Amino acid sequence: MLSVAQSTESGLKESFGTNAVQDFLIGIKPEFVPAWAIPLTAIGVGMGIVLAIVALLTMFSTWLERKVSGHIQCRYGPMRVGWHGWLQPLADGVKLLLKEDLVPLGADRVLFVMAPALVLASLLGAMAAFPLTGAFYFANFELGIFMILAMTSTTTIGVVMAGWSSNSKWSLYGAMREAAQVVAYEIPLGISLLVPIMVAGSFNLIEVSNGQGGGFGIFNWYIWPWVNPFMLPAFLLFFVAILAETKRAPFDLPEAESELVAGFMTEYSGIRWSFFFMEEYAAMFLYCAVGSFFFFGGFESPLSSLAEGMAGTGSVLHQLAQGATIILKGFAGIFLMMWLRWTLPRVRIDQVMTMGYKYLTPLALVCVLGAGVWEALIAPLWR
Amino acid sequence: MSTTDTYEPSIAQSKGELLDSGEREYMLDVRTQDMEVNMGPQHPATHGVMRVLIRCDGELVTGAQPHLGYLHRCAEKIGENVEWLQYLPYTDRYDYLAAMNNNLGYSMAVEALMGIEIPRRAMMLRTICAELNRIGSHLIAIGTYGLDIGAITPFLYMFREREWMMALFEKICGARLTYSYIRIGGVFNDAPPGWLSEVEAFCDTFEVKWKEYYDLLMQNHIFVQRTANIGVISREMALDFGLTGPMLRGSNIDWDLRRDTPYELYDEIWKDKAFEIPLASGEKGTLGDTWDRAWVRVMEMMESIKIVRWCLDKVEPGPIIAEIPKTLRIPPGEAYVGIENPRGELGHYVVSDGGKIAVRCRVRGPSFANLAVLEELMPGTLLADAIAIIGSTDIVVGETDR
Amino acid sequence: MDFQVIYDRIRSIKAPGVIGCDEPREPNPEDKKDKGRFGDSFVLVEPERLPEFLECVRDDALLKFELMADLSATDPSKDDENLWINVQLLSLTHKHRLAVKCFLPKANPVMPTSAPVHRGAQWAERECGEMYGITFEGHPDPRNILLPEDWIGAPMRKDYEYPEEYHGISCK
Repeated sequence: MLSVAQSTESGLKESFGTNAVQDFLIGIKPEFVPAWAIPLTAIGVGMGIVLAIVALLTMFSTWLERKVSGHIQCRYGPMRVGWHGWLQPLADGVKLLLKEDLVPLGADRVLFVMAPALVLASLLGAMAAFPLTGAFYFANFELGIFMILAMTSTTTIGVVMAGWSSNSKWSLYGAMREAAQVVAYEIPLGISLLVPIMVAGSFNLIEVSNGQGGGFGIFNWYIWPWVNPFMLPAFLLFFVAILAETKRAPFDLPEAESELVAGFMTEYSGIRWSFFFMEEYAAMFLYCAVGSFFFFGGFESPLSSLAEGMAGTGSVLHQLAQGATIILKGFAGIFLMMWLRWTLPRVRIDQVMTMGYKYLTPLALVCVLGAGVWEALIAPLWR
Repeated sequence: MSTTDTYEPSIAQSKGELLDSGEREYMLDVRTQDMEVNMGPQHPATHGVMRVLIRCDGELVTGAQPHLGYLHRCAEKIGENVEWLQYLPYTDRYDYLAAMNNNLGYSMAVEALMGIEIPRRAMMLRTICAELNRIGSHLIAIGTYGLDIGAITPFLYMFREREWMMALFEKICGARLTYSYIRIGGVFNDAPPGWLSEVEAFCDTFEVKWKEYYDLLMQNHIFVQRTANIGVISREMALDFGLTGPMLRGSNIDWDLRRDTPYELYDEIWKDKAFEIPLASGEKGTLGDTWDRAWVRVMEMMESIKIVRWCLDKVEPGPIIAEIPKTLRIPPGEAYVGIENPRGELGHYVVSDGGKIAVRCRVRGPSFANLAVLEELMPGTLLADAIAIIGSTDIVVGETDR
Repeated sequence: MDFQVIYDRIRSIKAPGVIGCDEPREPNPEDKKDKGRFGDSFVLVEPERLPEFLECVRDDALLKFELMADLSATDPSKDDENLWINVQLLSLTHKHRLAVKCFLPKANPVMPTSAPVHRGAQWAERECGEMYGITFEGHPDPRNILLPEDWIGAPMRKDYEYPEEYHGISCK
């Protein structure tokens, strides 16, 4: 479907992964359609696929959240809508679409409407850099992780817009806390990712994943101490940072239910609220998947190395195995985040900031320093 | 609190100092305005309909003013218009989480005026129900406190135990929340067969679960960080405000009405050394902080289980209500009886002129007195701590407002 | 301590404003009308000297009534010309209680506030004041606490007439 193959028609094709779609469209292009319409259509199709993937991820994540929270709390969760409630997200989506479109009196209407769209758009931009398999992606950026981190940071603008434009002091509190928290935890997030980037030598997600190949798909993962002993601390810092970035407990003060009703999302209802929700779950998946790419092998797993051995690199079976692997790893991370949410209480905002600036950032720097020393001096001895 | 403060930027009045270079330096005097946030009648963390007007400078609270009266149902005025026994369902409804204790307080105040003796089995059943209800009330207090802090799961675990307790009460009196079970003279219904062994089974299971709650919530590092050193109540402050119950014991003030002014069977139980009074000792952080008060409530649940077990051991068949006429005419006089509610001292002051209807039926609700301390504790804390402090006072707005 | 012992101590330290005391008594067999009085004993104090009395019994070493459990008012009947102020005191050190009563004339329901002595009296007096129409002089914050700010009348009085409506809501 989408492949890495280059086509000679247009210079744009080398940078976009939608080449096959473009080839197909060029083949069927009627006379009156100009040449520049082809890449645009291809991009549109790609974005549609990304949006569909995000929507599916969100649907499944909401079901998973309700079941996980239910079982942790000694109850079942949704059971009626489909087998064990798996159609519940569908029912919720229908309900949200049918809700009244409410904009509070006195709210800044333009910003109020724009905020959830901006938040989701930033996330879709980040998902554009996320490869689902070795050959199925919207775009293969050389600076893949850079693009993802940058785009997910822009969701903060949307959150602050939401909090401010709601014309409610409680929403403003949530927005301010969110801005402070996200900015504080961007630093350890980026710095802790430098450790695997140093080992891999590349920002490109697919190259990082390929670098962890071999060893039955499991023994070359970067997390193991024999690759670099600073990887495990870096991963722990990364995990805490992504909990804060996605506003999940114990860092869910911006949307603290029992204090601020729903924080910056208080005044939102219906489909607008579901945009925020989609952003939260898609961001959770994205960050967990990024973590899997850099620390836990990405596409590499016993399943995918078996498929590669059986059918060859780049084959359909291999790609299916890769896709299954990354999705499973992403959801394992999501499960861990949900587990933490329903176990731990909330950390207060000043404690969050103290932890971010005073403890995590210096620790991250120490990890990078140590990892650099290891890579430069000790690792070449046996690699 | 007036909300009509106008914001006057002081740019025009900035001082211009003459520097060495001959230029004038203008300092921009930036003034920010404190924000007044309304933790309104509808809020997940105010434990009922109560409004707290908080003035805050960013996240720092600089002033707090509780506004009550949203749940005022004129209970005291109604007490002057209905007959003695008809007032009993109204007593259920002020502290609806500990309804048995409310019934007990009112019945004891009227019985003090009547001067009758309650049969022993009635006293046993009263004590069992009051202590079970104390456990139920503390379960909600700690569960919702965890919920305010952000730990959602212990709340659901505690409600599982509370469901069992409410099922027990449903078997004995038919109601799950507002019982009207403890009546003037005794109790109105005997325990159905098998009820007492079910209570024993509840005690056995609860002891195991209690340990779970203690480890899951009280020892959780994040919970400790959120609640230690917050809302410290000193001894002088506690006595000045008239605080009672876990608010006192959380500041290591040794006072429990069950032991110090004993009523019903508590002097016997105390003599048998069946229970202790847990006193906080400032284990995590300062003495008298919110963690200490939560700790006192958790420990008190275990002590209530011990009292229930003592009663189960000693209960014998017998009459369950004293001989009282159908239309009660209470002899003239006045009496004040204070009992140990889960929240503090619940006092009933009844005045009678010899008739069918009370002259005065004053209810001293512990939550009313406990809430006053908020005006003193909240300034100087962060907004998230303010929520924790409200939760630690364990108020029920039905009792604050009556 | 027993009530008589407490009362003797109060008299001996010359606590300000003490008028007398009242104890329960059995009904008089000769007088059919006298049904007696049951319940608690109380100390009768002048309302103008109540704060001084409370301070005195709070600070005395043998009495030590540090905790004020309750301050409330009673309207005994329509015909009675006085309101009662009832104060319930509690001593943690000596484990005894005391009931204090003041007779406040309905014609002039003004008395000094006990808030400086016991901080807990502040809210109790607010409630008492709004419900019975009593003014506590020197109270730091005499707003209505349970009733709305613009409520007219003292609801707990026996001769109180309910208003027809309040802000458009019918009260009948």
